[in-house]
Amino acid sequence: MSATGSVGGTARREPHAPEATLGRKADYLHADSTLRSWFLTTDHKRIAILYLTSITGFFVIGAVAAGVVRLALIVPNGAIMTNDTYNKAFTIHGVVMVWFFLIPSIPATFGNFLIPLMIGAKDLAFPKLNLTSWYVFMAGAFFTLVSLVLGGVDTGWTFYAPLSTAFSNTWVLPALIGVTIVGFSSILTGLNFVVTIHTMRAPGMTWFKLPIFVWAHYATSLIFLLATPVITTALILLIMERGFHIGVFDPAYGGDPVLFQHLFWFYSHPAVYIMVLPGMGVISEIVPAFAQKKLFGYRFVAYASIGLASVTFFVWGHHMFVNGQSDLASLVFSALSFAVAVPSAVKVYNWTATIHKGSLRLDTPMLYAMGYIGLFVLGGLTGLYLATLAINQHIHATYFVVAHFHYIMVGGTVLAFLGGLHFWWPKFTGRMYSEPWGRVSAVLIFLGFNVTFFPQFILGYLGMPRRYATYPVEFQLLNVLSSAGATILAAGYIFPMLYLVYSLWFGRKAPANPWNAKGLEWETASPPPKHNFHSPPEVPRIPYDYPIQAQEARDQHG
Amino acid sequence: MSEGLAEGVGVSRAGHFETVGQQRAAATLGIWAWLITELLLFSALFLVALITRIQHPEATVAAAKHLKFWIGAVNTVVLICSSLTMSMAIEFSRIGWQRAMVRAMLATAALGSLFLVLKGYEYYADWDEHMMPFLSNRPFALAETPPARLFVNLYYVATILHALHLFTGIALLLGMTWMAAKAGFLSRHQNWIEVYGLYWHFIDLVWILAFPILYVVNR
Repeated sequence: MSATGSVGGTARREPHAPEATLGRKADYLHADSTLRSWFLTTDHKRIAILYLTSITGFFVIGAVAAGVVRLALIVPNGAIMTNDTYNKAFTIHGVVMVWFFLIPSIPATFGNFLIPLMIGAKDLAFPKLNLTSWYVFMAGAFFTLVSLVLGGVDTGWTFYAPLSTAFSNTWVLPALIGVTIVGFSSILTGLNFVVTIHTMRAPGMTWFKLPIFVWAHYATSLIFLLATPVITTALILLIMERGFHIGVFDPAYGGDPVLFQHLFWFYSHPAVYIMVLPGMGVISEIVPAFAQKKLFGYRFVAYASIGLASVTFFVWGHHMFVNGQSDLASLVFSALSFAVAVPSAVKVYNWTATIHKGSLRLDTPMLYAMGYIGLFVLGGLTGLYLATLAINQHIHATYFVVAHFHYIMVGGTVLAFLGGLHFWWPKFTGRMYSEPWGRVSAVLIFLGFNVTFFPQFILGYLGMPRRYATYPVEFQLLNVLSSAGATILAAGYIFPMLYLVYSLWFGRKAPANPWNAKGLEWETASPPPKHNFHSPPEVPRIPYDYPIQAQEARDQHG
Repeated sequence: MSEGLAEGVGVSRAGHFETVGQQRAAATLGIWAWLITELLLFSALFLVALITRIQHPEATVAAAKHLKFWIGAVNTVVLICSSLTMSMAIEFSRIGWQRAMVRAMLATAALGSLFLVLKGYEYYADWDEHMMPFLSNRPFALAETPPARLFVNLYYVATILHALHLFTGIALLLGMTWMAAKAGFLSRHQNWIEVYGLYWHFIDLVWILAFPILYVVNR
């Protein structure tokens, strides 16, 4: 394509010039440069950057904890660290990664930055509430970090009673308080997105012209609103139980520890889709841009987002197949869990069909997107193994589960996060990153990830339980392989941190639309001006109006 | 939305909205979304209380009979009256009667405070009757039936959470009344009264759910 050939145009040939702040127009980054203008900003774009910086910090903490876990598991006899240290390491990893990285990751950063741009609005509906949500997030983070500094927690990220209420001698209370507070930041973000998407769309931006990214965030926000309050209640009860022994999760007083699991998973299973749906939104933007082709089956992909967000509320029991729940309940939860595969598959098939006969460019974001699709399929299909009652008995609470959800959370969400970060980096910062380094890192992460986690499927199938510091000697080879993969993965994470930061000062200046992508966010300058658009954006006739259109789109729109 | 408003009553548009109508719609949807999350927060708690009732009917009925039914009933009436005065404040704001609106808001805050005073007296009476099982230094009156202890503790979690909402509500209401008494308030922020009114009615509604679930069922 000729348009593709001239990507970047003159910007590519500009000399590398370290002049980040001088001589630039008043875009949102340079409109005001005091510290106060950042910490009291109500600009959704700056708040997104605040979130991006903080969650990157948490990602580093969580990743270091993961490194400690993999270090311990190199030897089978637990000689490297005590059991207590090991328990704390995997708890820190889980708590930080789930509550402070994965859940806010894409919504609070890309969602915050892009939703108003994509729908042609000047800001989210409630800008001050948006800033509040970041401060609430940091307050929750503070409590959790306090528990970490004081000596850590050993309950696992799930805080199951009665371990968390009666037996653990670690700093459970501050961690619980931190996680409870963070929930409110999710609620505020979700509320802001729902109201914004309903009321702030530019004239002509009808629901079925919205990018799938916005649909995915709408579905995610519904989960934020409808599930998060329940975990808040569950955590309040847990705090009361640990602090005042109210008895609600204690059989001695007629309470029930399994009740906590119900309340917990009523939120935490939908939370999986808080982590997954925004990633799917990112992939639905990247794939058409790098195939230069209209997204296949737009309406189905949109409906599938809402479908996933609905079905996910009715499958929490599949976490409790071996906890004494009735056979009938297990059967129903199993069947409903299989139903999740349908909207998931709709999305995967539609991405694949979009790639089919497209004009492909394998730049960094697309490498991440293709990695995502493959790994998400593996993660999703192994979920069906786990949803099968008979097989679940065999692999419940083994490394098979660990591998399964890391294929979804890392192979899925983290890859989508990195793909999106590269895709929109020019828009966020006005600078291009180093494409060769980007590709090398994307490939490294894909390889490192698979070397780390594929052996864990085998380990789990062979019966190695999760969350133990020791294991039989015959599992050592696969564990060492997994730990070796983790070092490759770590390198893959470190490179982007270096070259992306480098690009802030030394990267080529980015044009408004470096990828020839469609969508209102590419119509404005890179980085966007403070109020997003210099003139009101014109909403296109159809979404994803790429040069190559699928047959159905031609039929539908004439 | 803006029809039915008197002359000179309305909302000043914030810069990121295109129209006042859009701004009002966003505020209304926002508060409803927030109330849905609040409803789920309390629902989970009420669900746990109902599960406890179903699993341990005798013990919970025994415990529920110790709760101060008449204080709870009077408080229900107090809150319903406060919702009435809040509704009046909203109506007054729409027709531009600023002084009447401020008085109705003060009456609402006063009724809310009366609820808290009665609730505080009820807690004191509970304490006096050894009905605070979470206090380790004070033996529980129904110690022979452990689930009674659980139910009474849930009663405290639910009512304290509700009282915190009410307390926050009164503080917000007083702050808003202070601003609403100033000239020109209704031409700029009439919307606030509508939005806040929904929150107040919601606190009332939660109590109307809590009272039967905790005090009345199987009594």
